[in-house]
Amino acid sequence: MSDFKSVSLNGTMSRWLTTTSGVVLMLLFVQFASGLLLSFYYVPSVDHAYTSVAFIEKAASSGSWIRSLHHYGSQWLPLFVFLHLFRLIFCEAYKYRKLHWIAAVILLGLVMAAGATGYSLPWDARAFFSTRVAEGLLGGLPVIGRMARLWLLGGAEISTLTLSRFFALHVLVTPFLILLIVGVRVAKQSGGNVCWETISRNAIAAGVIFLGLALWTLKFHAPLGPSVSDATAEYLPRPGGQFLWLYQTLKYLPGSLGSILGVVIPGLALLVLLTLPWLDVAMLRSLSRHSQQLIATLILGVAAIWIVGMTSASYLSDRRDPRTRQQLAKQAAEEDTFRRTPFRQVALNMSAETSRNPPPGVYATFCASCHGERGEGATQAKLKFPPLIGVTSKPHRTRDDIIGLLNDPESYGLQAPMRSFATKLTEPEKREIADWVVTLK
Amino acid sequence: MPNAQVTKQNRRKFLSLFPLTVVVGVFTSIAAAGFRFLRPRITQTGSENWTDVASVSELQGNLPVPKQIRTEHYAGWAITSEARKVFVLPAKGNQVLSAICPHEGCEVWWEKDSNQFSCPCHESYFAADGSRLSGPARRGLDQLPSRVQDGKLQVLYEAFENNSAEQIKRA
Repeated sequence: MSDFKSVSLNGTMSRWLTTTSGVVLMLLFVQFASGLLLSFYYVPSVDHAYTSVAFIEKAASSGSWIRSLHHYGSQWLPLFVFLHLFRLIFCEAYKYRKLHWIAAVILLGLVMAAGATGYSLPWDARAFFSTRVAEGLLGGLPVIGRMARLWLLGGAEISTLTLSRFFALHVLVTPFLILLIVGVRVAKQSGGNVCWETISRNAIAAGVIFLGLALWTLKFHAPLGPSVSDATAEYLPRPGGQFLWLYQTLKYLPGSLGSILGVVIPGLALLVLLTLPWLDVAMLRSLSRHSQQLIATLILGVAAIWIVGMTSASYLSDRRDPRTRQQLAKQAAEEDTFRRTPFRQVALNMSAETSRNPPPGVYATFCASCHGERGEGATQAKLKFPPLIGVTSKPHRTRDDIIGLLNDPESYGLQAPMRSFATKLTEPEKREIADWVVTLK
Repeated sequence: MPNAQVTKQNRRKFLSLFPLTVVVGVFTSIAAAGFRFLRPRITQTGSENWTDVASVSELQGNLPVPKQIRTEHYAGWAITSEARKVFVLPAKGNQVLSAICPHEGCEVWWEKDSNQFSCPCHESYFAADGSRLSGPARRGLDQLPSRVQDGKLQVLYEAFENNSAEQIKRA
């Protein structure tokens, strides 16, 4: 919503070009609001992340739309931050509004980081492979690669700790930093004169883009591939639109060169853009009067060409190869089928399994206090009560043996505290216990 | 006031409507979806969800018999199983009482010495038949629907509202 005094943008088209900040603000709001809503159901654990996302997608009212808003919003946001940076170049913001410029550059880095960490959270096959790629990219960094990988994963391998870390980075660290940057930026802005015309124009642009995003997400759902365990060897993972350029680039680069181009060069480019306000040095001025503008345009221009080129190449490459095209179409059809099948809840814990095969009441009365509610065994002080799960795999533990053991434990080599239930239980009750114990696997 | 200034003010008022409309539009559409999204889901798990408590033959004597049953609970994406304590009253035709205190929902104990149920949280006391004796609870222990099937006592576990004088089934 800047109204730069020093460099004015005249003309109707030019005025509309100054509306990127309003759009970025709106998209940030959409991301925060939809992310907040999703966090009410999402579970950051490798056991349940996929199920909870499937629940959001298939069972929760409006869940699919909210998730799609968040998914596609995360792809539109970097695009508009990028455009915002472009328009700041033409306003020479790095000279006259340094804070605006720095905030926009940091914001670009943060929204890309938020997208990268958020992409792993559904924990479907696509997310899992993107986590693998992120791990590989970091691991390939010179000098700090190994440590960076360990810190990102929370250990040597991808695990539930990795998902927790991505979740914390995605919902706490990056949003906090984004809020900080936007807060400082907006606070600085509100100190100046408010031009209602500029605000209105920003609002109209934001409204139009929101309408576009809302309609887009009603038509196109956020993808949700098969779970990691259900993915077949033929599964072709494809990243989100904002990372297709990186995916395609990595095809051309051997070994750790990918880490250089995927992490180091973008990092350096952001660093140069960040320090641009202080790059107005004599040496560069001697080359050109608008050296800063040239540097920024060059960096963003090359990045734009690279991103558009590689993204297009990725789309074309997938379309040209008939086998890839066929497999991707098959995956899309499977996703569609999955989305249309009713959601099925999962048993949460061992107790839920027990509820499917409940112990007989007589077991609960006489046996559960020592051997556990579902025969898992227990320890009380120095006493150890063995588990009954899988007991039939031991010698002399058939159904009849268990009945015999209940009558006379000593003859089966068992001693106190196991006692005889010969007179305490009726024959049908002993059979009932034995029938249930042999089902414990 | 000169006409030009009035026109400028009207124009400013008109322009200020755009941001307001957009903010209200974006906020309302997400808030409406958010309301639907977060609205509590009351899942019916089937009214005929009878659970075995014990064999009728083992239920004897004048004292309440504590038993534990497991109930399934459908919560969003998960099915959880919870252990529930109940008391069977053999002296009253195997009536089944919920162990949940109707005051604030703690689990009551059977006190052999004083021959009464007591709640460890806020000291509500109930007689051996479950009727209220004293304390903050406004009604006696809740009786659960039960039946005998194939020689086994079965119960239909239900939860009731706390702090009401009447037994009101929880939705």
